[in-house]
Amino acid sequence: MTTSSPAPLLSPQMLEQLERLELVSRKIFRGRLQGERRSRRKGQSVEFADFRNYVPGDDVRFIDWNLYARLDRLFLKVFLEEEDLHFFVAIDASASMDFGTPTKLQFAKQLAAALGFIGLCRTDRVKLETLGESVRRPGPVLRGRRDLWRMLEYLAAITPNHNVPFAESLREFCLRNRGQGVLVLISDLMDKQGFEQGLRFLLTQPFDVYVVQVLSREEMAPDLRGDLKLVDSEDADFTEITASQPLLQRYQRNLAAFLQSAKDYCTHRGMTYLMSASDASVEQMVTGYLRTRGLVR
Amino acid sequence: MTLLNTLAPWQWVLFAAVPVAIVALYFLKLRRQPLIVPSTYLWRRTVEDLHVNALWQRLRRSLLLALQLLLIALAMAACLRPGWRGQELPGDRFIFLVDTSASMSATDVQPTRLDAAKQRLLALVDQMQSGDAALLVSFSDEARVEQSFTDNRSLLRQKINRMRPTQHRSDLQEALRVAAGLANPGRISEDVGDIQVAGALPATLYLFTDGGFESVPDFALGNLTPIYVPLGTPQPDNVGIMAFSVERNPEKQGRIEAFARLENTGTADVTGELTLSIDGELADASQLRIAAQGEAGVQFELGSLQQGVLQISWQRPDHLALDNVAYAVAGVPRRARVLLVTAGNEALVSAATTAEAQATAEVTVQGTEYLATQEYRDAAAAAAWDFVIYDRCVPPAMPEANTWFVGQVPPLTGWSRGPTEPLPFIIDTDRAHPLTQLVDMGSVRHIYDGFVIKGPAGAASLFESASGPLLVIASRGGFEDAALGFEIVGKSADGKLIPKTDWPARSSFPLFVMNVLGYLGGLQGSVAVVGGQPGIPAALQSRAPAEHLDIRLPSGKVSRVFRKNQNAFVFADTDELGVYEVSEGSAAEVTQRFAVNLLDRRESNLAPRAAIELGFETVTGQVAAAVSRRELWKPLLLLALGVLLFEWYVFNRRIFG
Repeated sequence: MTTSSPAPLLSPQMLEQLERLELVSRKIFRGRLQGERRSRRKGQSVEFADFRNYVPGDDVRFIDWNLYARLDRLFLKVFLEEEDLHFFVAIDASASMDFGTPTKLQFAKQLAAALGFIGLCRTDRVKLETLGESVRRPGPVLRGRRDLWRMLEYLAAITPNHNVPFAESLREFCLRNRGQGVLVLISDLMDKQGFEQGLRFLLTQPFDVYVVQVLSREEMAPDLRGDLKLVDSEDADFTEITASQPLLQRYQRNLAAFLQSAKDYCTHRGMTYLMSASDASVEQMVTGYLRTRGLVR
Repeated sequence: MTLLNTLAPWQWVLFAAVPVAIVALYFLKLRRQPLIVPSTYLWRRTVEDLHVNALWQRLRRSLLLALQLLLIALAMAACLRPGWRGQELPGDRFIFLVDTSASMSATDVQPTRLDAAKQRLLALVDQMQSGDAALLVSFSDEARVEQSFTDNRSLLRQKINRMRPTQHRSDLQEALRVAAGLANPGRISEDVGDIQVAGALPATLYLFTDGGFESVPDFALGNLTPIYVPLGTPQPDNVGIMAFSVERNPEKQGRIEAFARLENTGTADVTGELTLSIDGELADASQLRIAAQGEAGVQFELGSLQQGVLQISWQRPDHLALDNVAYAVAGVPRRARVLLVTAGNEALVSAATTAEAQATAEVTVQGTEYLATQEYRDAAAAAAWDFVIYDRCVPPAMPEANTWFVGQVPPLTGWSRGPTEPLPFIIDTDRAHPLTQLVDMGSVRHIYDGFVIKGPAGAASLFESASGPLLVIASRGGFEDAALGFEIVGKSADGKLIPKTDWPARSSFPLFVMNVLGYLGGLQGSVAVVGGQPGIPAALQSRAPAEHLDIRLPSGKVSRVFRKNQNAFVFADTDELGVYEVSEGSAAEVTQRFAVNLLDRRESNLAPRAAIELGFETVTGQVAAAVSRRELWKPLLLLALGVLLFEWYVFNRRIFG
């Protein structure tokens, strides 16, 4: 088990790079405040979008009187509405996340910080949640650059010992955070009951879900030898193995099948799935993979 | 099966704790190191895949346990040293003396006695402990060290299997000397007493023989412990030819007779047929009945036989085939070449040139002046004559031939003559010697003068007068020299030739001359030569000067011998029974033949001796060797090792399977 790294979650260079990005949602959400983004919703803004026929009850302020004069028909000007985005980051802080160099949790914190910073810069509504803590210690709601430090403090305070079943914690999350928005779930998806049940709760909410699965190197390529009694860090369950090449090969096959099943499950249900090693670069993750997947631009 | 505990009780308790510990370990599973991993989720799935056939997995686990327990059980059993009564060789140094003489080819023990001896020997070698050393000696009439002292048992087995039977007689003396040389080192005498020159190495002497040899009385066993392993059944069935000769019939002129004597060494009366064949063709046969332990003689009338190979064979099969056949080579291939040097001796010349004498010898008469010629010297050195008679003369050097000096002694050291005495009288004649056989000197009344002859060591006196020997014969290398101590014809005071004895007027004189021509001329008296025994070298002479002789053995192999001295060849490879054919130089023609026959009573007597005498000790035949334990712990440990390997294999199958 590795203690969480004291390294800063975000470096100045990275902050600079992230400032230029913004979070995007593929779905149309209605935020509570007007944000700095052009929503796909038509609304009140200076940016013209289209005309439509007037129906009684429409705001007469948006009738195009010039057209009425020319055509003797009432048309309503429709503008693109600029609105804010609800951005959620759910971090799995179970004990299993405390492995790897850096730990998976550290990676999750960095990723959350980076994405959260992008949201803060665009005055989106950013909410961070630790899975299993949604009820007892709900995460802060952040908006605006000035909340950066609150966000970082919150993240730094997350400790990897929240051993709540994955499904249970996601259910709690969904109950606490109703509404629309973009949800980034950072977890290793390692749950004895299976990740499917937990992810199903997310489907009940109109979230634009991004699942980032983090695995440590020791999980992806275990270097084990001899007769071992493997003890589960979360439930202290143990499995006896005699490490051998065929066994490790079998493990690799199982791992590949597991990752593939997670990817298939997410893809079939409209979630975006990403897998990353805990020692991968967060910067590259954000500016590379997430950009191609359309979370940021 | 008995057990021999090697561990103390407390050691057994410790040992017994081992399987308990193994079982405990299996239950406690203490072996595995705990390792905390993020999640056992995937591992569990991986191991579950392996455990699809969980029953087999469990079995395999318990198989490992069973194998480990079996391993311990085997080790414990090995510690108990299970064993049974077996045979062991006493001592740690062994000398194996194996008889390979003719009698060991007897088939009363299948396949042969020698093979039986080999089997017993191999069994003994198997019982040798590691570190034991053994010496392997085979003996017949000579001893042969097949393998010097070694503890290499596979080498010993190899050498034992390589031993071959011979057709020789047996003589234990030399083999015992070889054996004793190692066990009883020599001593040197100093003023203070005997000092042993080397450390004595006591050894157990195993004697594999049927005892067909003379007892060895003058032998001290010293540090040797003898064990006599008699070979052969106590009641063998064998009839052997003990003697064979071919002679002229003295009563019927020109008739030749063959005599054979057979002995039945078995314990039952036998009836069989003895056949005589000449040059391979059956000439005669005789039905014989020989009583148990008895003997029988056979006589065959051959008529006039000029030349040929005679073979008698006993047709009834018995346990030893070697002594059922004997050979003789008959016929005078050529006349003896005789030179008579005389200054005038009508009586001798006429006796030597009778028709009868001419049939056996080709006599050349020369005067005494011939001795001075180069021709004589060359011929004498080249062995041109078989026999030279010097009448009242002495050659400058002895020829390569037999000689007879009349009124003189050979000019050799060892020979000397006494003073001339008047009227010597012959009072005794050696009638057994071929020279003086049938010669009756009693009728000789007058010998005017004579001298006593003193021959060299080994000389035989054939005529004895009151004052000493008058006719002496002695050997010189391969030749024989005879000297007569009186003149037959001598010179009177006025130089005239006068007879000096009335012997020529007696019938014994021509008979004597015939004997001389026959015997010293090389014609041995008998018509056929039966030959020597196997292993005894044959002295051969070439008819014409030759550098080498080619000798065709009975088996067909050709052996070449080179000249040793003037005209003598020694052929030592007389190992086979049968007729040997000799051709001289490069000529293919067979000029001589000689036979080699067993004709040995001891070899033919197959009954194994109950005891043999070695020096002052009588060694009784011993069938069973000393009793000892045969141990089982080595195979048990090997089995345990095998179980260990199998366990390792199962364990690996479990990991990699």
